[in-house]
Amino acid sequence: MPFSIVAQIAVSGALMGLVYALVAYGFQLTYATSKSINFGQGELVMVSAFVSLTLINTGLPYWAVVPLGLLFGALLGLVVERTAVRLALEQKSEGWILLSIIVGLFFFSAAENIWGRDDRPFPTPIPSAPIRILGVEVTGLEISVLVGVLAIMGIIEVFKRKTLMGKAFEAVSADSDAARLMGVSASHTVMLSYALSGLVAAVAGILVSPITTVGPTMASAMILKAFSVAVVAGLDSGFGVVLVGVVLGALEGLASLYIGSGWREAPGLVLLILALAVRPTGVFGKSVIRKV
Amino acid sequence: MLIVKDLHAGYGLSEVLVGTSLTVKAGTVVALIGANGAGKTTTMRAISGLITPTRGEVLLDGKPVQGLDASRVARLGLAHSPEGRKVFAPLSAEDNLLLGGFRWLPRYFGFRKKAAGDLARVYDLFPRLAERRHQLAGTLSGGEQQMLAIGRALMSRPKLMLLDEPSMGLAPVIVQEVFRTIRRLKAEGMTMLLVEQFARAALEVADHAYVMERGRIVVEGTPAELGRDERVLAAYLG
Repeated sequence: MPFSIVAQIAVSGALMGLVYALVAYGFQLTYATSKSINFGQGELVMVSAFVSLTLINTGLPYWAVVPLGLLFGALLGLVVERTAVRLALEQKSEGWILLSIIVGLFFFSAAENIWGRDDRPFPTPIPSAPIRILGVEVTGLEISVLVGVLAIMGIIEVFKRKTLMGKAFEAVSADSDAARLMGVSASHTVMLSYALSGLVAAVAGILVSPITTVGPTMASAMILKAFSVAVVAGLDSGFGVVLVGVVLGALEGLASLYIGSGWREAPGLVLLILALAVRPTGVFGKSVIRKV
Repeated sequence: MLIVKDLHAGYGLSEVLVGTSLTVKAGTVVALIGANGAGKTTTMRAISGLITPTRGEVLLDGKPVQGLDASRVARLGLAHSPEGRKVFAPLSAEDNLLLGGFRWLPRYFGFRKKAAGDLARVYDLFPRLAERRHQLAGTLSGGEQQMLAIGRALMSRPKLMLLDEPSMGLAPVIVQEVFRTIRRLKAEGMTMLLVEQFARAALEVADHAYVMERGRIVVEGTPAELGRDERVLAAYLG
């Protein structure tokens, strides 16, 4: 098999892997503040994509739809926080696991009823014609995924490191009682993290829709891969999810090329099992040093 | 400044505080002493809102604050340096101090510039922290973490400071340094409520003291009065 084809498939897979990384990053955001994650995150990706598509179909230009779609994603994140997470956390229960799955199922049924079960194309002004870079053909859409994922993660990382509110985020993550003693409202911080997580899901939906089309099940496979990425990379390393996402995406491409397209999902699960067996805190998980 | 009336609080079904009352006047240092398990830390946690009292009143500057979330109470000007120090281990020492100023600093940009004066004051009080400002708080020694916890409380420009066991687990020479700092803050007019195992050291710096047993105050008075009380002498100062 010529090398150029292998490289081509690995690069396309890696770019798709960035989307897994972005969804996994959304898990990290809420895990940091509340030690909880939204198991219905895939439905947020899908519903945000459908809402954006509906807005485009009303005739709004793409670039006006993007911020609206992101805002809608953030609102959905808040809905999840309010309905599935807040009460469970207040009672120190793990009920958010089941509740977030249920809210996700609700979004799924709602989407099927409102928009139907068919996959629909997502129009975009970004050119889909391939460009040759170093012998590999990359489409404008794929580049938009690369730029979009890195931009949104970069912005959120700058927020976390350079603003006092971002440091408060990390303080809640480290010790939420002590953070409350500083005047940081733990509940507002958790809300903010869910809004950001929803926004990130919407970014993933808008970036990936033109490539995969929009349908109720568009994110079901993606969310499994995002879980694998989050577990393998650990729930506290933004850099880790990008690296693991890219590697996983490339491996998926290669698996379907060499073994058969039915094996596309295998690398994610193999990586997940290996990671759990060898390093359950994640390859990039921090072990906090603590002196007493 | 702080009035606590008939406070009841506990964890789940077990009631730890059964009617604690105490008063801290502005500009004074009040010590709260007692054996392990008497309810000193629970009193502190119920005052600052980390736990919700089941009955009773907490007045901060005349304003009832019982039942408010700890973050609201903190924003009203009460700084609680908790038992076990509770520094933010994965953040740098300086970030810990900046978070201390969360209640008055701008939340997004320009907070470093605004905090510069207060930071300089804390570094002047604890030169060790200035040396270690970029080190992660979790890697500091116990004494340095205690300084950081006190410095972080000071950064909030508090009206009232609660210090819970500032000497816990520290070497004697560091304990002396901590008490030197407390005396210096007192000289600057800071109002403090101090919980201490080292009753003698606490009474030396306090204007007024309360002795707790089994969830209530059993004796109160000036340190001189407590020093003459035979029960207190036998139990805590022996």
